[in-house]
Amino acid sequence: MFRYSATKRILSHLDQQPVISNLGPTSDELWHASDRDRNFYTYGSMGLCSSIALGMALSCEEKVISLDGDGSILMNMGTIATIGREAPSNLIVLVWDNEEWAQTGHQKSHTSFGTDLEMVARSNGIEKSFTVSNEEELDLVLIQALNDEGPWFIVAKIQHEPYLPVAPVLPEHTLHRFRQTFVTEPDRVG
Amino acid sequence: MTWAKTIVKALKEHEISLIAYVPDSSIHQVTKLVDADEYFHLVSATREEEALGIAAGAYAAGRNAAVFMQSSGFGNSINAIAGLAIPSRIPIPIFINLRGEHGEFNIAQVTMGRSTRPILDVLGVPHYTINSEDRLEEKIKGALKLCYASREPLALCMTPLLHGGKNV
Repeated sequence: MFRYSATKRILSHLDQQPVISNLGPTSDELWHASDRDRNFYTYGSMGLCSSIALGMALSCEEKVISLDGDGSILMNMGTIATIGREAPSNLIVLVWDNEEWAQTGHQKSHTSFGTDLEMVARSNGIEKSFTVSNEEELDLVLIQALNDEGPWFIVAKIQHEPYLPVAPVLPEHTLHRFRQTFVTEPDRVG
Repeated sequence: MTWAKTIVKALKEHEISLIAYVPDSSIHQVTKLVDADEYFHLVSATREEEALGIAAGAYAAGRNAAVFMQSSGFGNSINAIAGLAIPSRIPIPIFINLRGEHGEFNIAQVTMGRSTRPILDVLGVPHYTINSEDRLEEKIKGALKLCYASREPLALCMTPLLHGGKNV
């Protein structure tokens, strides 16, 4: 499975649900697939993608989709425990698992040595945890996740593909545009 | 009103209803009030940077959120402040119990406690030290107002002279 194609497939199932993407190529690909107001791209804060998504899920009614990565969530595995403890029914964590730190030179990650993130999630009380390895399997689980109560934790095994150009986004703009879709009174000066 | 109740009142006035924290024995005086109050959702994070991430996500989705931690754990949160809250302009009030101050008994707490405010300075994060209950409501409310007006993280460093510290 390739991430960019799968990302486009995920978006085809969504309406206005918020999507938050891990730093780097995952965010670039989300932007290239469709630059939505409800996309929250991260370009820093290593490891925090699903923690940010948890905060969102605890603050809105809609399904929140976190597009995380294996290297990223390995850096902050404690947040899987917090998600299990809080158990927000509207949170869908999807971990793109290429079993490596691709951007820094394809160093193998712990998932290529046996760390099973699906089992990690299950052992933290997230029962709706699955691993998928092609777009058809991903579709089936995602459609269920969008319709049934979670939290959901989906490990999507992917292969390396060439990177797309870096998306022209600014963090401040991303935050502002995203937030304005939630607040009743727009943010202003003073 | 106790210092802890004054903080809780100020949080409510700024509609800060999600608190992400890592437990601390002194700050427990505040977080136990928060935990008992249905207005708040108290989220127990495993690590301080995770707490910052949760608070950032809440603000992005339209809910004001604050973070509570100890100075030793502040060291665990720096990249979340520098790489998320500052560039995205997310106003997060960060309440820090400053260890390594009057009455400290643990040598391992001293250096991070002493380094916390200089690190905040280098990051460009405004911070205020709260040493007593003198004009406390004015100080807390004023700091929170500034935090949201500037859309930047802001730290409130609370010392043992305020809360009594931790004793062995």
